[in-house]
Amino acid sequence: MLYSIETKSLTKSFGDVVAVNDISFSVKKGEIFGFLGPNGAGKSTTMMIFTTLLKPTSGQALIYGFDVMTNAKQVRQSIGYVQQETTVDEYLTGRENLLLQAKLNHIPKNEINNRIDEVLELIELSDKQHKSVVTYSGGMRKRLDIAGGLLHRPKVLFLDEPTVGLDIQTRRKIWEYIKKIHDEFEMTIFLSTHYMEEADHLCDRIGIIDGGKIQVIDSPENMKNAMGNEVISIMVENSKHHDSFLSELQKIKFVKNINKDGLKLVLFVSNGTEVIPKIFQISSELEIKITSLSLTRPTLDDVFLSYTGHKIRDDDSKFNRRREHAKMKRLRA
Amino acid sequence: MNTLMYDTYTIFWRELKRYKKSRSGVLIRLIQPAIWIIVIGNTFSGTQPLIQSVGFQGEYIEFMTPGVIILTAIFTSIFGGVNTLWDRRYGFMNKALTSPISRSAIALGKMSAISLIAAMQASLIIGIALAIGVNFPNPIMIIPIMAIVILFSLGFSGISVMVAATAKSQETFWGVINFLGMPLFMLSPALFPLELLPDWLAIIAKLNPVTYTVLLVRSMMTGVTEGGVPILLSLGILFAFVFVMIGLASYVFTREVNKPF
Repeated sequence: MLYSIETKSLTKSFGDVVAVNDISFSVKKGEIFGFLGPNGAGKSTTMMIFTTLLKPTSGQALIYGFDVMTNAKQVRQSIGYVQQETTVDEYLTGRENLLLQAKLNHIPKNEINNRIDEVLELIELSDKQHKSVVTYSGGMRKRLDIAGGLLHRPKVLFLDEPTVGLDIQTRRKIWEYIKKIHDEFEMTIFLSTHYMEEADHLCDRIGIIDGGKIQVIDSPENMKNAMGNEVISIMVENSKHHDSFLSELQKIKFVKNINKDGLKLVLFVSNGTEVIPKIFQISSELEIKITSLSLTRPTLDDVFLSYTGHKIRDDDSKFNRRREHAKMKRLRA
Repeated sequence: MNTLMYDTYTIFWRELKRYKKSRSGVLIRLIQPAIWIIVIGNTFSGTQPLIQSVGFQGEYIEFMTPGVIILTAIFTSIFGGVNTLWDRRYGFMNKALTSPISRSAIALGKMSAISLIAAMQASLIIGIALAIGVNFPNPIMIIPIMAIVILFSLGFSGISVMVAATAKSQETFWGVINFLGMPLFMLSPALFPLELLPDWLAIIAKLNPVTYTVLLVRSMMTGVTEGGVPILLSLGILFAFVFVMIGLASYVFTREVNKPF
């Protein structure tokens, strides 16, 4: 068995809202796979199907070869799940929380203490283990939550937006732990996030999901390279030759794609330094005034924009509001 | 079977640990039943002739103390399931649901923890009753009384766990629980003999498991078996109630938590 996660035409709808729409993909063993998308894109729903909390409307999902519908028990034995909200018991101490997690996951009695010591060391909470979780900071709680997910050494670890709501230093710290966990236990990690940096930093491969559909799956590097390895942003003044300017630019040899955003043009190119003189040549022929120009490396933000047509934080479209509404109704929060 | 026991114990352990750490006002919860004993017990002491008319020779307060013990058990156990709603809201439930333990174990673990907590509360009521001088001819009977209270609360907490798993909000939970709790208490011989109820209410009371539990505890405390219900019959009904509730609560809980919250 090569894959830790396999889905075939997985679909989940709530009433007439389709949250996950016919997705098919696989995650290799030992991979860190990132599910990237805006709020309400279907990330959590998909993850809840993988962790047997929701039943798919149609299609199939296999976790470590076990079907989430027919072999739920085996799936649960193979996974660790760290939810978006922190779920540690505040009144219990850090160690008691891990003890509870160990018992829930049937870790043999004689191994429980060693395992707990081991993960406490990994997440650097050994010194605080006998303190009530009430006294922990947000970052410490999250680390404890992640530790709970690892305790039974699952084959696949699911992390639902592991760093949402944490400050930047804490976020980097959590990334460090996730990398460490991955190196130490060689488990498959499936994480969802709406932070570009996070996906870029951690993941071997990324699936961009938007509107319940997977738009593209590839490694962050390939995604950025496919866009051309450089991005040229140009601001121009308004002119009647704007459209012909655009079509002339498209004819330049190294230009792979152009995104138009009003008077701002974003060119994805493979040989920026040779493209720039040509841009000036065309603009002077058409008497178009360029007010600014910059040459940068593409970010995942650019990748996201080019696949979905909107920015990742662009949550205000009507479509997303409706989806979010359906989600809230479901959670009754 | 072994796994089910182990998992039930895990949840039981967690519930008790939380109860202990949250220090959720053991004393505050005792105030209400203490008021029942002290205020109602003394105010209604003039109703002694009524009680005597059904063959009970002691004071009214002795008659109603078993009722208040069961009152404590009823309300502690029927409210006890409310944290199921918090567990679902704050993710513990999902954590448990994605682990290999069975859904029934979650329900049973909660029920057994609630029943132990209810028994502890009830034992404090017995203490209060003794302190204010309620006559207790045979103190050794405390042991079977506690056993009855634990059994009864185990069954009754099933109601709470079922309602909590089915209700999606606090408001629904409290609405249903209040709707159930008070009538079940009132339609029993906890405060007055069944013989004083109009026939149609007496019929309802005879279908109420609370009735038989009160009769059992009262006969153990005072030695008087009223209404001609044999102890064995009461015991049989109590056991049947508990078994049915364990089965029903496991089933309903499992069905409900598998639905999205």
